[in-house]
Amino acid sequence: MTPSASPVAIEIRGLTKDFPLNLRGIKLRAVENLTLSVPEGRVFGLLGPNGSGKSTTIKIILGLLEPTVGECRVFGVPSGRVDSRLNVGYLPEAPYFYRYLSGTELVRFYARICGVPRKRLDDRVKEVIDWVGLSGAAQRRVGTYSKGMLQRIGLAQALVHDPRLIILDEPTAGVDPVGSAEISELILKLKAQGKTVLITSHLLAQIEDVCDRVAILDRGKLILEGDVNELVGQRDRQALIVDPLSPEHLDELRGWLASRGHALNAVEQPRARLDQLFISRVSRSEKGGQK
Amino acid sequence: MGMTTGGVPFSLTRLLIVAGNTFTEAVRQKLFNFLLLLAVALVASAQFFREFNFGSSELKFISDFGLGAMVFFGSTLTIAATAQLFFSEIENRTALTILAKPIWRTEFIFGKFLGVFAVLGVFCALTTLLLAGLLCSRENSLMALHPDAFPGGRIIHYGDLMAMGMLQWLKFGVLAAITLLIASFSNTNLYTVVMSFFMLVICHLQYLAHDTYAQVASLPLRLLVRLLGYVFPNFQVFNLADQVATGVGLDAGVVLRVAGYALAYIAVIGGLAVYSFRNREI
Ligand SMILES: Nc1ncnc2c1ncn2[C@@H]1O[C@H](COP(=O)(O)OP(=O)(O)OP(=O)(O)O)[C@@H](O)[C@H]1O
Ligand SMILES: [Mg+2]
Repeated sequence: MTPSASPVAIEIRGLTKDFPLNLRGIKLRAVENLTLSVPEGRVFGLLGPNGSGKSTTIKIILGLLEPTVGECRVFGVPSGRVDSRLNVGYLPEAPYFYRYLSGTELVRFYARICGVPRKRLDDRVKEVIDWVGLSGAAQRRVGTYSKGMLQRIGLAQALVHDPRLIILDEPTAGVDPVGSAEISELILKLKAQGKTVLITSHLLAQIEDVCDRVAILDRGKLILEGDVNELVGQRDRQALIVDPLSPEHLDELRGWLASRGHALNAVEQPRARLDQLFISRVSRSEKGGQK
Repeated sequence: MGMTTGGVPFSLTRLLIVAGNTFTEAVRQKLFNFLLLLAVALVASAQFFREFNFGSSELKFISDFGLGAMVFFGSTLTIAATAQLFFSEIENRTALTILAKPIWRTEFIFGKFLGVFAVLGVFCALTTLLLAGLLCSRENSLMALHPDAFPGGRIIHYGDLMAMGMLQWLKFGVLAAITLLIASFSNTNLYTVVMSFFMLVICHLQYLAHDTYAQVASLPLRLLVRLLGYVFPNFQVFNLADQVATGVGLDAGVVLRVAGYALAYIAVIGGLAVYSFRNREI
């Protein structure tokens, strides 16, 4: 699918953003001539080292920053217009929320700002808080939340008005491995509902698992963009995982493969990944969100 | 970022939600503790004046001191509350989350103003009631002690005291709008607070420049002072305390004119704050 054939959620053209550094007119170019489109209904990963302009790009998409050059549209509406944000949910990086509200009050506040109808308000707030696994702490003041819990409540407020586009700036920073896996699951669930997700993360394994398409920025410039499968898939290879084989059986297998024109390239002992081990041992009911 | 026509109409509901949240913050961050301080100061001072046995002029002392304390604590509260309730949204980046929602920046900033204004309203109402209570009880006991000092009945015009409370509230509203305007382009909390206090002093003292230069100075200087008189609101016009406790009474026309003066400044300064905040990068 080429982006022009399918509907586009975010369209960025020739975007450049300069930040003035001092009064003598010296500027810092955070994003340079970026052209990018995020197709609707896909999970799009925006990658890049620290300071490469990912968060700046996201803030321009949301109309929080004004582009120096170029333009950006969300569902066809220019960013900066209030109606471009109608169908967008946003989790900022390292989020910080009103400390004096409880989790429920916070999500409720944002839901009302977004115009969630009054009669669905309470159910909807409860539902998204459940999704992010914070039901146990929903009545506590946000000021007492841990870093990972802040990310979760931030996710809840981003989803509460059921937006079509969800923008997550490092949603897994500070979240434990179980929580990260849950966020991945949540993203895939959103995708199954036909939502578009734009995500930045430094956990490349997670990006690889959830994203359909990625773009890599470096010092503000786009250096690579493409479908994940095309970029990292090795179509000419396959891995078989079997019970332990004795050396004789292995030789036999090698001979069997050779007789059919295949080569056995590697024999390795697969290791459980540490994150999988962690997830299988830590009980899900004891994670950060619960009492 | 601005008022470009979009599909989302301006919504008073959203503005009020922001205002309500701002008020909740003020309550939960215990900004009303100011009131307690002020109450203690008032009651203590009333007790203190009693020692001197001034007779009926004691009431004027209480009233003057009470209104003075209200101006002092109220101005401090106004600047502190506006900086806390508006500027810290930018500083703590909570503004990032809310401004990424479908909300006009105008709704946000006026919602913030209304929240602060409500806090100031509660402050002024409670302080005025407390002061009225103190004056009334003291007046009763003085009337019983020296009936001959009160030939025409009560000296204090309690209705006027309420009007004074309301005018102070409006004046604090003007100060809150000024602080909001400064915060809308300032980069630090300290700058916001210091600049706002500076403006407060100018607004209180500008009448001096007016009085001095109006007669002596050359024409260009006189025009400049005139012009500054329009740019900076003159807080001295809100000071009608003398009429309250001396039995002269307030003129309703004057009260209305002063209230209109305050509302005009709030509208203009608020508009400037919106203009300046609209283009601010968060
Ligand atoms: N308000 C600002 N004023 C000046 N420079 C800024 C501002 N915001 C961002 N920058 C600069 O722009 C560049 C890009 O920053 P940005 O936050 O977009 O990076 P990022 O890709 O999100 O990095 P990270 O992975 O660390 O979150 C950085 O060099 C940063 O210092
Ligand atoms: Mg970033």
